[in-house]
Amino acid sequence: MRGIRIVILLASAALVLSLGLAAHPGQAPSAQATKAPAKIETPSPSAAAPAAGQAKPAAKAPQGGVASAPGATKATPAAKAPVKRTETIVPAFAGIKEKTAVIVFYIWLWLSIAVLIYFFRLWVREADRVYQAKYYEPEPSPRKDNPLPPVLGD
Amino acid sequence: MKIDLKKVGAWFDDRLAITPIVRYATKKEVPQHEHSIWYFTGSSILLFLAIQIVTGIMLAFYYKPTLEGANDSVARIMTEMPLGWLVRSIHSWSATFMIAFVMLHMLAIWITKSYRPPRESTWMTGMMLLVVSMVFGFTGYLLPWDDLSLSATKVGTNIPNAIPVVGKWVTQFLRGGDDVTGDTLTRFFLFHVCILPLVIFAILAVHMILVQKEGMSVPLKDEIAKKKVPSLPFWPNFILREVMIWLVLLGTLMTIALLFAPSLGPSADLMAPAPAGVKPEWYFLFLFQTLKIFPANMGPVTGEFVAVVIIILTVVAIFFLPFLDNKPGGKKGKFWTYAGIFGLIYAIVFSIWSLL
Repeated sequence: MRGIRIVILLASAALVLSLGLAAHPGQAPSAQATKAPAKIETPSPSAAAPAAGQAKPAAKAPQGGVASAPGATKATPAAKAPVKRTETIVPAFAGIKEKTAVIVFYIWLWLSIAVLIYFFRLWVREADRVYQAKYYEPEPSPRKDNPLPPVLGD
Repeated sequence: MKIDLKKVGAWFDDRLAITPIVRYATKKEVPQHEHSIWYFTGSSILLFLAIQIVTGIMLAFYYKPTLEGANDSVARIMTEMPLGWLVRSIHSWSATFMIAFVMLHMLAIWITKSYRPPRESTWMTGMMLLVVSMVFGFTGYLLPWDDLSLSATKVGTNIPNAIPVVGKWVTQFLRGGDDVTGDTLTRFFLFHVCILPLVIFAILAVHMILVQKEGMSVPLKDEIAKKKVPSLPFWPNFILREVMIWLVLLGTLMTIALLFAPSLGPSADLMAPAPAGVKPEWYFLFLFQTLKIFPANMGPVTGEFVAVVIIILTVVAIFFLPFLDNKPGGKKGKFWTYAGIFGLIYAIVFSIWSLL
């Protein structure tokens, strides 16, 4: 019963997290963040250009991994431009696709944790029971002078 | 062609001696008592270290340790790489979690006096690991190369200047010159990804061997009373409990990293004055505040010199704590326990004070 309660608790945590994530102001992709992968505070005209330039290759880049060669190659000309960024980059989702993927991943993560903990608890309980029952310990030797466990024929 | 897996396994076993390790794990027992929960802090550190390594490698693929490229490359990681900002956040938060758990682990050992003989070397290697972890954090803080990290590094690398004779040399060595420049950045990157990992692995290996050799300690009162403490098998009873804690910690870390991802300031300007409210990472705050409360001059020496000497002596005393607290069951032992509690309160109060 306790294990089920833990699973329910962790599943609720996952649900709360996903709801919180959907409403989290820091992470919610604003109109600007939907265009560009990260939200940039107080954009200046000089800095907005490379940021917008970077948005395109990133949108084409495959999701689900950091190493994205196509995105990286296309972004090089923008990186070469000697424009000094003067604003703070605030992390945000690249778009609704990324946001959905992250929410789904986090729900899956917490549900997996809940399920794994439920099964591990059963395993631990069984392992403790077996240990307390001294299941794997050899029976004491009937001969006092021989500390070894009895063998066949003793 | 049919491959005999048993033969392949035996081949590896002959060369890598896997069976003795497995046998050791199955025979190993862990004491069970009211302080057993603290055993889990040690393994949790390894979990965060593993996360650091994985995310650190991912970040290193795109990071450029140059004056011109550092900040832009971090910006690129955050804006162009799919979920790059999340990977960076996980790296940053796992560093915080790791240092917090190292401190918690050390504190638990201090309070429970688990450093008593024969575990003095285990404590000393643990202390080395704490220092290396903090240096990891210090070197990593500069790498985004924004105004705040530059100013914090300037303050941090200036502290050794107060040490007589070698101080100036240490500062120059850390900075790669008289001031914090692009050379400092390259140097810190090298420390962060090459030298410190080698050092931490070497010390960690010794620490782990010592933990296995000496076993886990039992409460002091049980040892004095010569009471037999019940134990649990390491495999599977203890390791499964550890895995459950790792899973919860992993979920917590991932969630915090997602909700509180760090931002990135504009590229640092070497000529610009230090911005207001320069603060180091949280684990240096109490030291930062300690340096601030000392007056500029204290007789013939500077206040900073006195503060640095006190800090160094304290670190040395903590390093040799098992030898200073050589009678843990007596009054001396109580004194050192209260000293540990006082140290904790001091660190918390001064950290909060520094934030105000």
